[in-house]
Amino acid sequence: MFVLCRRAAFFTAAFVASLPATGIAAENMFGVVKGAETLPQDAMEIYQKVNRRSDKGQGDYTAYDFVTEVEYGVSNRFSAAAGLKMMRLDTQGLIIDGYLPKANDIGLKLSGIEFSGKYMFLSPAKDDIGLSMYMSANYDWIDPHSGQDKDTLSFETELLTQKYFLEGELIWATNLGLEATYADRAAIDDLPEGFEWPTDPEMELELKFGTAMTYRVAPKWFVGVEAFYETEFETEVGQERWSVFAGPSIHYGSATWWGTLAFLTQLEGGGEQYANQSDTSLHLIEKTKQELRLAVGFNF
Amino acid sequence: MDKHLINSLWFMPLTVIASPAFAVDYFSIEEAQQLLYPDATAFTAANLSLTDEHKSTIKSLAGTRQRQNEQPVWRVEKDGELQGWFIIDDVVGKHEYITYATAIDQQGNVLGMEILSYRETHGGEVRRESWREQFVGKTAGDTFKLDEDIQNISGATLSCRNLTDGVKRLLVIHEQFLRPAQ
Repeated sequence: MFVLCRRAAFFTAAFVASLPATGIAAENMFGVVKGAETLPQDAMEIYQKVNRRSDKGQGDYTAYDFVTEVEYGVSNRFSAAAGLKMMRLDTQGLIIDGYLPKANDIGLKLSGIEFSGKYMFLSPAKDDIGLSMYMSANYDWIDPHSGQDKDTLSFETELLTQKYFLEGELIWATNLGLEATYADRAAIDDLPEGFEWPTDPEMELELKFGTAMTYRVAPKWFVGVEAFYETEFETEVGQERWSVFAGPSIHYGSATWWGTLAFLTQLEGGGEQYANQSDTSLHLIEKTKQELRLAVGFNF
Repeated sequence: MDKHLINSLWFMPLTVIASPAFAVDYFSIEEAQQLLYPDATAFTAANLSLTDEHKSTIKSLAGTRQRQNEQPVWRVEKDGELQGWFIIDDVVGKHEYITYATAIDQQGNVLGMEILSYRETHGGEVRRESWREQFVGKTAGDTFKLDEDIQNISGATLSCRNLTDGVKRLLVIHEQFLRPAQ
């Protein structure tokens, strides 16, 4: 009789578990590095992400990237997201041949769209280590570096791992990704004489690796650190750039919303450099010295 | 102020969308005692003070660390006769601690489990009787593995895992420190 009761309880619980259940599984604990968890079936989150990129070592350069994103749990293992991208840019006192043709001060502009999906093979809370595949497609019509018109289509695939330690008080995540990009710049009429601004379509491949760790210092509060390496290969020049960013992150998560603030600084970089670049140990053409990333998410 | 900066603040109203109202405390300790031992006539505090050596033993037997040095325990009696033990414990949730109570009889079988406080966004299904009943009859020798002998709840996997591991740890505590005291 007792065994029958236990079995009945197990199957009832199995039924309960099969009902649409929602969760906070997909919240961003870091600025760049992604976790391996997906949203449960029928759960939805809305995110607002802001990335402030600043300082190219010469002149003034500040760019803001905004992404407003909606993520939905299609199943307990697969979640899909769609996002609208906007940007603003203020740059002056720096001209980079082939990349930054002139001073530019643009207000908030719609700059692109993105679609992504994440499939969780192993759950970090249930299996020894969590493993997911993340895929995204992006279409942008503004060059994020110069603010000039540029059509960019990119596809990205990443493998995400996540491991819980200390019953979840310590979280370690790693990402390994590959992004393929097709880009086509629009011509610019009033370029300086001799300035190179190729308008032939180009293909780029980018490799990414990131790792991050965060610790719950108090209920709702996590403090962490993350580092990521990116390198890009382009049709004509081979390895065009590489960079290593690292920095601290702080995360707050409550029952209804969460927020993450991360400050990342470029530790080292290489590849192409602009003329008279003073800090030759960094890549400052497509990257900046600092990034300040804020993400806020709301659970529904 | 820079007009572009003002433009950049358009998303800020999103921050007021979320409703902060969530019930977090469902039962007091006294209410949980009555639910788990409705016929008991006496609950006598018998808290355990655990040394580092005790905690190390618990971890090696339960597979989960014992965070607290003081484990709140009550000896439960009915008309002077021992009924079992009532233990209050906290486990790590996604954002905050989950407080729960476990009733264990003299032989080391779980009589019941109640969630006193659950402060997470979702996954409140752990409070459902059908989920909690899976623990009834469990002993320290059972598997306590999600989706094997305890069903997982998607979206609350960490909570399910830590509650499951927590009940096993309490059974180990009973086996090591309370059963000999009987």
